[in-house]
Amino acid sequence: MIHDSIIRDVLVTGNKTPSDVTKDISRPILNKPSTAWKIGFTLSLVFLGIFALSLFNTLWVGIGVWNINKSVMWGWDITNFVWWVGIGHAGTLISAILLLFRQKWRMSINRSAEAMTIFAVICAAMFPVFHMGRVWVGYWALPLPNAFGSLWVNFNSPLLWDVFAISTYFSVSLLFWYIGLIPDIATIRDKVKTKGQKFWYNFFSMGWTGSVRSWARYELVSLILAGLSTPLVLSVHTIVSTDFATSVIPGWHTTIFPPYFVAGAIFSGFGMVATLLLVARKVMNYENYITIGHLDAMTKIIMLTGSLVGIAYLTELFIAWYSGVEYEQYAFMNRATGPYWWAYWSMMSCNVLAPQVFWFKWCRTTPWFVFIMSIIVNVGMWFERFVIIVTSLHRDYLPSSWVMYKGSLTEVGLFLGTFGIFFTCFFLFAKFLPVINMSEIKSILKNRE
Amino acid sequence: MGLVDKGLSLRNRGRLLVGVFEDEDHVMAATKALRSKGTDILDIYTPYPIHGLEVALGVKRSNLSVVAFLCGMTGFSLVILMIWYMYVHDWPMLIGNKPVRFTPSWVPILFEGTVLCTAFGMGIIFFLRNRMLHGIQPELLDDRQTDDRMVIVVEADNNVDEATMLQTMKEAGAVELRERIGGVQTVL
Repeated sequence: MIHDSIIRDVLVTGNKTPSDVTKDISRPILNKPSTAWKIGFTLSLVFLGIFALSLFNTLWVGIGVWNINKSVMWGWDITNFVWWVGIGHAGTLISAILLLFRQKWRMSINRSAEAMTIFAVICAAMFPVFHMGRVWVGYWALPLPNAFGSLWVNFNSPLLWDVFAISTYFSVSLLFWYIGLIPDIATIRDKVKTKGQKFWYNFFSMGWTGSVRSWARYELVSLILAGLSTPLVLSVHTIVSTDFATSVIPGWHTTIFPPYFVAGAIFSGFGMVATLLLVARKVMNYENYITIGHLDAMTKIIMLTGSLVGIAYLTELFIAWYSGVEYEQYAFMNRATGPYWWAYWSMMSCNVLAPQVFWFKWCRTTPWFVFIMSIIVNVGMWFERFVIIVTSLHRDYLPSSWVMYKGSLTEVGLFLGTFGIFFTCFFLFAKFLPVINMSEIKSILKNRE
Repeated sequence: MGLVDKGLSLRNRGRLLVGVFEDEDHVMAATKALRSKGTDILDIYTPYPIHGLEVALGVKRSNLSVVAFLCGMTGFSLVILMIWYMYVHDWPMLIGNKPVRFTPSWVPILFEGTVLCTAFGMGIIFFLRNRMLHGIQPELLDDRQTDDRMVIVVEADNNVDEATMLQTMKEAGAVELRERIGGVQTVL
């Protein structure tokens, strides 16, 4: 016997029928692009241009156009890398972990969050790849025999683990996203009119008909992929954190890094999901699908992970003091009161203090306020990576090597440019693919337990 | 049993009866009613997953989880073999005189390799089993079956006579009944 839920609020408002869902969500695909889309896309292309220019400068002149120097060998580039990878994590959290926990509210946001994951990982990959300097020998990072003998890659190096982790994460996320898209691509296939559109949507729908047996397998595969993606996403940021934690740099050599990085990743990722969805819901009129209930749930996660990150910061401070290691103590003292104090306190206020406002319901359910907070969260998380990387590196063990670091124009340009990559991809996605998972949304219209 | 689920194809079938529905509860009721009368249902097409429908239809649980496990084991073994060959056998890399044998530092790559093989191995078998390929033409019975309509299709030559099957679907709430002969459908 099936009952309508009496406990939960409806997940989709406005009494939508399955055919309304199809109409609403395929509208941007079937119609001509809106003015908002055109403006946004053009702006993204401008930023993409900035990326191209900065990259050209990096490759033409050499890596020296970045201000990274003798002891600060990682600067904006790795800060941006960790930042973008972290952002990607929320997508997997929403689509995989919340699927395992049977959180149905994820259904209207998982598609765009997964897209965000994929685009964020593309942006992230730019930085370590071009940090190599001679990017044309980048394939040396793969397990291939060296041309000058049979020297292979170093399997003990966290940097190699990163190569495997990021590429696995990217490809598995892409597969998960694509399998989830197939039924919706088929829906679009049966709606489009022009020959070109018919061809491409037919090509990518892989002959999907919606047979009950296909659905049964589809659901099983989604569940297994979710089960695989859950440890995968945790492993990715764990491995990114071991890039730092396995070194002997004060402030990096700590065992708390893996959980702390994972919490931070989910925190910043939800910040970005909130930023994107608040705009999408307004511009594309998806208020009935991405409801205030979604904001409420997401901001709760932001508050939880923000607090986890806060505990990690305090633990770091405590352990630095408690360890009795002079270098460690100095590193943290220097973070808070040294020349980069402003970065440290920006990080603290944006990541630890700011999200505490979400204890109040008004703050969780007011879209414009959540939007501002989501930006603050991402600024804070960028500063976190900057603080970890730069403050630890600019004070070497040898005081004669102490330096100051600030990003060059090219480095700033590359960072801004990745927004170009990200938003260009996102706008194309919003134009050609359904931003909300139609088939899953249709299955929860009746709001049953 | 081949790898591809041939039951998914509508080609080379005799006369088919098609019932079109617009509510998931009606499809469920029709499926249960047809099955209780002993009808063999060829397939049901729905625009979204309807939970319990595959059970009502009597579809066995897919073995894809076993496939996933086997692919994972294969991936695990291949990665062990790769690291062992490159790192222990072919060119042992001595760093700080640490032992060149299995160490926990192998674990991250082993894990990633296992996940990669599991996901893609299972994904490929999933596509094959579901008769899915890029560019293949779908066999649709209703142009709204991926939008908001559900379609039950049964072979006319069945354990139960035609009139009973049609009547059962009608009673359960079918909005349209059709027959399909050689790819051409006529409303009944």
